[in-house]
Amino acid sequence: MGGISARNLRMEFDGFVAVRDVSFEVASGEFVTLLGPSGCGKTTLLKMISGFLTPTAGDILLAGRDVTRTPPEKRDTALCFQSYALFPHLTVMENLEFGLRQKRVAAADRKERLDAVIGNLDLSLHLSKLPNQLSGGQQQRVALGRALVMRPSVILFDEPLSNLDAKLRDQVRIEIRRIQRDFGLTAIYVTHDQAEALAMSDRVFVMNGGRIEQSDTPEDLYGAPKTSFVADFIGNANVLDAEVKSVNGAGIVELSTPIGLLRAACSGRPQGSKIRICWRPEHANLAATGENRLSARVTHRAFQGHFTDLHLNEGGADYRVQTNMPGIREGDTIAFSLRPDQIVLLETVA
Amino acid sequence: MIAAHRFNQILLALLLGLTAVWLVVPFTMAILWSLVDPSEPWTADRLVPPVMSFYRWQDMWENSSLKVALVNSYLLAPSAAIAALMLSMPTAFALGRIRFPGREVAKILALLPLIVPPFVTSIFFTSLLYQLGLNTWRFGAILFAHAIVFMPYAIRIMTVSFEQVRSDHIDAARDLGASPWARWKVAYLPALKPGIFASLLIVFIQSIEEFAIAFIVGSPDFTTIPTLLYGTLGQDFVRPNAAVLSLILVVPNVLLMLILERLLKSANPALSSGKG
Amino acid sequence: MTLKKWLLVLALLAPGLGLIVGLIGVAVYIAVAQSFGYYNLSGESGFSLDFWSDMLARKVFNRAVVYSIYVGVISSVLAVMLAYPLAIWLRKPFPGSLTIGAILKAPLLVHGLVAAFLFINVIAYHGILNQFMQGLGIWDAPKRLQNDRAAIGVIILQVWKQMPFALLLLTGAVQSISDDVLNAARDLGAGGFARFRKVIAPLTVSAMQAALIIIFIGALADFSFQVIAGPTNRQSLSQLMVFFKSGGRWNDAAVVGVSLMIIAILGSGLLAAVTRMTMRGRLA
Repeated sequence: MGGISARNLRMEFDGFVAVRDVSFEVASGEFVTLLGPSGCGKTTLLKMISGFLTPTAGDILLAGRDVTRTPPEKRDTALCFQSYALFPHLTVMENLEFGLRQKRVAAADRKERLDAVIGNLDLSLHLSKLPNQLSGGQQQRVALGRALVMRPSVILFDEPLSNLDAKLRDQVRIEIRRIQRDFGLTAIYVTHDQAEALAMSDRVFVMNGGRIEQSDTPEDLYGAPKTSFVADFIGNANVLDAEVKSVNGAGIVELSTPIGLLRAACSGRPQGSKIRICWRPEHANLAATGENRLSARVTHRAFQGHFTDLHLNEGGADYRVQTNMPGIREGDTIAFSLRPDQIVLLETVA
Repeated sequence: MIAAHRFNQILLALLLGLTAVWLVVPFTMAILWSLVDPSEPWTADRLVPPVMSFYRWQDMWENSSLKVALVNSYLLAPSAAIAALMLSMPTAFALGRIRFPGREVAKILALLPLIVPPFVTSIFFTSLLYQLGLNTWRFGAILFAHAIVFMPYAIRIMTVSFEQVRSDHIDAARDLGASPWARWKVAYLPALKPGIFASLLIVFIQSIEEFAIAFIVGSPDFTTIPTLLYGTLGQDFVRPNAAVLSLILVVPNVLLMLILERLLKSANPALSSGKG
Repeated sequence: MTLKKWLLVLALLAPGLGLIVGLIGVAVYIAVAQSFGYYNLSGESGFSLDFWSDMLARKVFNRAVVYSIYVGVISSVLAVMLAYPLAIWLRKPFPGSLTIGAILKAPLLVHGLVAAFLFINVIAYHGILNQFMQGLGIWDAPKRLQNDRAAIGVIILQVWKQMPFALLLLTGAVQSISDDVLNAARDLGAGGFARFRKVIAPLTVSAMQAALIIIFIGALADFSFQVIAGPTNRQSLSQLMVFFKSGGRWNDAAVVGVSLMIIAILGSGLLAAVTRMTMRGRLA
């Protein structure tokens, strides 16, 4: 199993730049998710890695070999399609062994690989059925098995769970991760569902406008987003403009914001004097009377079961806060505090 | 990707070249031949006819059966079209809106005329006419035969059109108190209109082009443009006359077919073909 | 289904389907009956196998059978073989693909007789093809190309006229194969020809069968191309049939007609079976 190396990838269609200057390294056996809104370039990047698009500029190396211009049929990648793309005229067994027969894998090896995958994905009862006789979840597993049985250097997933219902999605998600780990496959997974990305990945590449905005572990992405886009895309965030007033030696920055003066913990110096900052709704502590005490008026209240979602308005801007405190009504003014380390410094504003 | 693009360009160039050979050249020859003036024959050593005029066109118009053939063809075709449409409507309604056992078989049976070889149909239809002693009114016989033989097209198109009439529109009309005729006008007719035009046009075109029935049933008294053309290609082969007739047959045809293509896009994409 | 409903359905089907089945049924019935001696317009009517036995022994008939089948099979196979790569090429739109599509389908607009005339005009003794070949120095003298013995003229005309129809059918079928399925085949290692054999062909078998059968029947039953551009020492079955009819020999014509129909059905069945076997498709 090999790693992936991409250098300065660029994809242009008739003047429209879908991917601009993307470089990254993926280690062998790593599970990386490409995450972003529609049109961010994640599917284009996936197609470049799998060989269905040739980059306008840049290189791709798989397990150390330059495959930038190698067509998909000769690349050691396997793709799990969003629409499953099972061959409608072939049985499950024939679908599974299609790639193995194309590569002329020896009969004994073929049988061993097929048995392993059929066992793992629980497909033994369906082998002689045609795809149109299978349920969505079963088709998904056949598509997965067809790619897995190839034991590729890199296995690629194009939003494979988007056509499944919620419960099935959770189950298959766990299976995919388990199999990937068991076989030690390098995986690139594309999705627009951030919960999926956070749950499954070793690392997540958040993409926006054809660029990778941030590539980090899920925990670091959530706890330390680098830009307001990432902060808002992963989970909920309250993003504000802020002006740096002072930086003291102990790593505390004083900021002037539309809702008041805040003190944030910061390692290193902020890059400019006008920056953006954010804090997470669930970090607002309505009970404590600590630093960064703020107050605002509640404009909307939505009970969500394990927390209550409050929309606030202060200084002309809207904020969101999550709390377990009962008894808060629309129109009330509430006060809450934030710890300095719960305020994250984002990008500089020009 | 770039290789594919280049390949496409080469093939495109090749095909355009081939088109010149297989479409442009024959038609140009036909046009040139139709313009040959009888005062000087067009011999092999000249690239274009030495004297060109519309003499042939005029001559055909005045002296041959062209006028009669034109009248016959252009009277026959619309009549056949209307007849085919009227006869097909009840069947299409049944096939399109009533579920009955054997419906699929019925749909296939309706295609029967397309499977039987045209000359078999025409010869034995004529035989039937002789048996019944009905072989005097040629126009009627051909009209009847055309209507039946081209009905599969009308049935197919109208069945699809009827299937597309929305039940909820019919129900809404009934709910608002509409009489059967009003229901027809507001719920059925809008969905049927493109199909009606398409059917009329396709049967019209087929009838104008039809040769086997017109030849067997019609000759020697009743001429249509195809049978006239056939006649000029036989013993009395005068190349320029044949050229004139060919052009008369082709040009309206092309125009009508193009109109049909446009119409059929909205009625039934699978049926945009015609066979000579 | 109540009786009342059945009556309604039958009444609705009568003017359309009823007339069709009636007319075609009667025509076929008369053909079959006349072939067995009934409805003899020029002699005694009665069951007789003579017409069949006489005809089957006739050389001109047997030659016509072989000849018509030859033209039918070659035309349909050639037309489909040409149409397939074109349909695959035109599967995805690219600049100029609409124009090419329209040009390739143009022969559908041209009446058969006109096509025959244009053809013999071009290959005429002093026609443009002869002049072209002589001009290039490939030929020294004009060649007589019309009415050639191998019926190449007829076959060219059939393919010219019918290939667009095959193209239409095959284009629809080929376009219905989803991109993803073809991409999946590529991803799993299948090159161009492997994709055709294992994915495209099995999934388009019924369109291919339909094209082959319809073109086969059309070429088998051809009359006009044969008479205008075909070999003079051979007759097609339709030509033979018309010949007998114009001579008043209705019963002989009937035998030829019924043979034509039988060959059409058997030939179609055979073509369909052979196609399915070679493509080895298996769709539920």
